[in-house]
Amino acid sequence: MILLSRQLSRARRLSAAGRGNTELVAGGALILLLITLVVFAPLLMAHDPAASNLRNRLLAIGAESHWLGTDQLGRDIWSRLLAGLVWSTTAAISATLISLFIGAFLGLSAAASPGWPRTLIRWFTDTVIAFPGLIVAVCVIAIIGQGWLPMVLTLGFLGWPVFARVTYAEALSLMERSYVTSARLQGVSRGSILLGHIAPGVMPTLLAMTAFNCADMLIAESALSFLGIGAPLGAPTWGNMLAESRQYLLRAPWLVFAPGIAIVVVVVAANLLGDGLTRRYRQKGPAPLL
Amino acid sequence: MKGDRRYRLSPLAVAGLRKLLEFLALLGALLTLLFFLLRVTGDPALVLAGADATEEQIAAIEAQYGLDKPLIVQYLNYLSALIRFDFGTSLESGRPALDVVLEALPVTLQLTIMAMAVTIAVCLPLGAWMGIYQNRASRRVASLLVFLAQGVPGFVAGLFMIQLLSVQLGWLPSIGRGGVETWILPTLTLASFLIPKLTRVISTRVSETLGKDYVRTALAYGASPRAVLWRHALPNALLGAVALIGSQFAYLVSGSVIVETMFAWPGLGWQLMQSTRTLDFPLVQALAVFIAILVFAVNNLTDLSFRFLDPRLRDSGVRR
Repeated sequence: MILLSRQLSRARRLSAAGRGNTELVAGGALILLLITLVVFAPLLMAHDPAASNLRNRLLAIGAESHWLGTDQLGRDIWSRLLAGLVWSTTAAISATLISLFIGAFLGLSAAASPGWPRTLIRWFTDTVIAFPGLIVAVCVIAIIGQGWLPMVLTLGFLGWPVFARVTYAEALSLMERSYVTSARLQGVSRGSILLGHIAPGVMPTLLAMTAFNCADMLIAESALSFLGIGAPLGAPTWGNMLAESRQYLLRAPWLVFAPGIAIVVVVVAANLLGDGLTRRYRQKGPAPLL
Repeated sequence: MKGDRRYRLSPLAVAGLRKLLEFLALLGALLTLLFFLLRVTGDPALVLAGADATEEQIAAIEAQYGLDKPLIVQYLNYLSALIRFDFGTSLESGRPALDVVLEALPVTLQLTIMAMAVTIAVCLPLGAWMGIYQNRASRRVASLLVFLAQGVPGFVAGLFMIQLLSVQLGWLPSIGRGGVETWILPTLTLASFLIPKLTRVISTRVSETLGKDYVRTALAYGASPRAVLWRHALPNALLGAVALIGSQFAYLVSGSVIVETMFAWPGLGWQLMQSTRTLDFPLVQALAVFIAILVFAVNNLTDLSFRFLDPRLRDSGVRR
């Protein structure tokens, strides 16, 4: 009974958060839909995404048993889109988490330790952020090889500066707050102030940034695949599908539009969620969309 | 410290020197990373010689690059060669890597400058308009469209434009670099990397500026809204916005790798993709160094020019 009422109140709070926050509701709904698609992807695939059938090459959208058509090898596009969704979202989320942990750690350390560690971390962050990341990613992947893991690691280790910068700025401003001062005066240790008072205060901002960053990582991941160095050739990823489609622009425009629109949907969903979270947690968010 | 007047540098010079040192440190770190990654992940002689090299070729490469020496000696040799701008020869073409880079540089410069011009021409008026008319219905539609456009990655936008403008309508060539008609699609594609984001930033900046005290004061003194807008609010808002475009140059260079590869433009990015695909490491290193120098130069030139345009920044230290 208590559990039920607690859940009810949580649901009520959630719905209150959504009221008047179109971005949060729309983004959340889209993300939930995408998560469902990822979880049930194996069940929803009508065909093996890698199975080619040369008799069914380049079937148009609406073909029998291939509702989104087939590609140049007769592979089912809907199944390949689903496989690509799993690949891209897991890669984007993993890379974002790596960036988040490195960035939050360095940002908090810089805020907590004035003097040379702070100078060093800030300098490191500023220089990495000023460098074209894709160039480094291309060079590194060329050496360490293609595939899901090399790509996730490369993107994750290149993407942390934005998190570090924001964590540092937020943590520094939180340290000026009176509740932190009062905790310090009561003799709470520096470590537990940092983890118990500062880190939770930074979380809402980081949450919104995580959503935006997932979108950026997904774009970076498909761009690398599109360039032919992210996913192994022929793997069912959206970047590969876009790259392969270029030889069939005239005969099969759906080969471009299916993965292209898929990327747009996921990126828009993540951006909506990010905007909604920003508005939810901060008074001074971006101007409402509608 | 005794301050001897003659040896005291201006704050600008100090900031510039500091930036240069930081840049050299970053470049050194990047090249060190590439050096050790190349050696950790496999036999560089095999990589340098190519997949189908014979035993003698591998031995020749080992001798040529000093790969039989200890690692630390190799590393120092490598760094000293780079400092002398000696990048070696391209393994694919046999030409000096520096020549290949200098040939590709104008192509990339042309593409990024054209894209930058288009971005400014679209973002400034659109962003200013959206910032001024906060509550119009047409502005709300525009900002929804900008939000959706922000969800379209540049290369996807480029593919959609190729499909529409060159395949369906047949107006523009879909690949290659030649006359003016071949410039349009690559420029638009690269511009689409930045336009939605910058439009949003500029519109927020303009609307923020319009809420500033000095705007309210000017209006209270009876200045016409039009005069306040053109004389005070827009110059202030747009100055910062243009500085922001300069800081996005690194992102634009990343985008140019994709755009050049898409449209087969033989610029730095296209060369980089070609040389990584063929594992032409001398060329990869030369390209990485030059791209880094290019980004550094542009970032700091825009920084410097805004120091002179904006009196508030003059004589200030490093701008963060």
